[in-house]
Amino acid sequence: MLPRPRPAALVVLVLALAGCTASPGAAPDRARAARPAPHAGGPVLTGKLDSPVDVTLRWTGDEPGAAGRVLEFATESTGPYTVLEFLAPGRTDFEHPDLMPHTPFFYRLRPYFGPASAPVEVTLPPGEPTAKDQEDDHTWTAPRTLDGPPVTTHPVVDTSGGPLSAGRTRAVDAAAPGGLRATVMHAAGIRFTWTDHAADEDGFLLEARPSGSGTYHPVAVLDPDINSFGLITLPEEKRASYRVRAFVYGEQSNVVRLETGSDGR
Amino acid sequence: MAAPAARAEVEPGGWNATSPSFTVQERGCGQVDNLTFTLTCSTASGDQRAERRYATYTGGTRQFEGYFRIAAMGGTRISLKQTFNESASGPYFMLAAERGGRLYAVHGGTTLSTAGTVGATVRVNTVHQVGTSHRTYVNGSLKHTYSSPGGSFYDKFGAYRTDSGSGPATVVWSNVKFWSK
Repeated sequence: MLPRPRPAALVVLVLALAGCTASPGAAPDRARAARPAPHAGGPVLTGKLDSPVDVTLRWTGDEPGAAGRVLEFATESTGPYTVLEFLAPGRTDFEHPDLMPHTPFFYRLRPYFGPASAPVEVTLPPGEPTAKDQEDDHTWTAPRTLDGPPVTTHPVVDTSGGPLSAGRTRAVDAAAPGGLRATVMHAAGIRFTWTDHAADEDGFLLEARPSGSGTYHPVAVLDPDINSFGLITLPEEKRASYRVRAFVYGEQSNVVRLETGSDGR
Repeated sequence: MAAPAARAEVEPGGWNATSPSFTVQERGCGQVDNLTFTLTCSTASGDQRAERRYATYTGGTRQFEGYFRIAAMGGTRISLKQTFNESASGPYFMLAAERGGRLYAVHGGTTLSTAGTVGATVRVNTVHQVGTSHRTYVNGSLKHTYSSPGGSFYDKFGAYRTDSGSGPATVVWSNVKFWSK
């Protein structure tokens, strides 16, 4: 059940898709996602040691239709891999500094694909949350799946036009989260709800573009079927645009292995 | 029985995998379910903790490795990992999350990250040479170095309200390992 909004709460409502409901939809039965496959023109990852414990990674090539990439690292060839950063499509390098000495590092890139909701613009009240705000139980921040009326769902990406090697993978607009709603809960808190139209997502990304910034970047990674989440904001996010993206991961790039040396200690 | 040798992540040579015993600590609104640690309240006072407290060690060098994911956090200044100085009866090193898990900081206020992504998994390695130094690596990079006194210490991790913090918070740990030499 939705908590009752505060009387002073600012509500921003966007109906992103014609005919969609503003109520968060119930999670559909999950289908198996089509996995975009790597292709010959895809990114090639390279890396070098700038010092015994500093690495720079670079990549070339394109990933048609990708919303971005994640750069991951591990210290065993079998993983586990950990995401270092979500990277915008135009990004081509990353510095990984001050590394653990005498350690093998394995790096890989993975693209992610999927449609984003229409954005919502949020302006927060000035200052910090009050003592009364802080006393609130903040249960609205927890990622959750809210029940709602049944909705039609769609695959996140369309691979029917051919394999990714042909550059024809595209996000399916109809799978974009709908009815994104932002409710200001206090001076540093926003609750987001949306309708899940994706049938096979790996998860959702809440993306933010602070006022004055040119690009969106992920601020929360959420599990499949989530349609409610509360964000505690940073000072630079007093005015920002937000959107939610349903996404699936594509296939990984080549793996780069580098071994660090002594850090001089 | 001696533990088998294991590939350590830092300063190779002579490490042995260990499996120290631990006790589960639930205080106030803290709840522990295996490796999921939850503070269910926003109470900004009193003892609110959900942690694993590992066995005391004295001397030598100890390495900790673990992965945490802040699944939800409405509060701020929640301790995720501590190296506790039993001899001084206080936390010697503390890694904490601020502002709903958007920032990470250590005891003393050093900010480790300015781009916390809620829900993303973060890897932590600490290397503690008792009497010499304590180093913290976040996602493979050295983020903090402390000089270390001698004495008795123990590792703790989970979710713990610091003096200036409050919940709620849900922190999920995974792939926790220890080595010593």
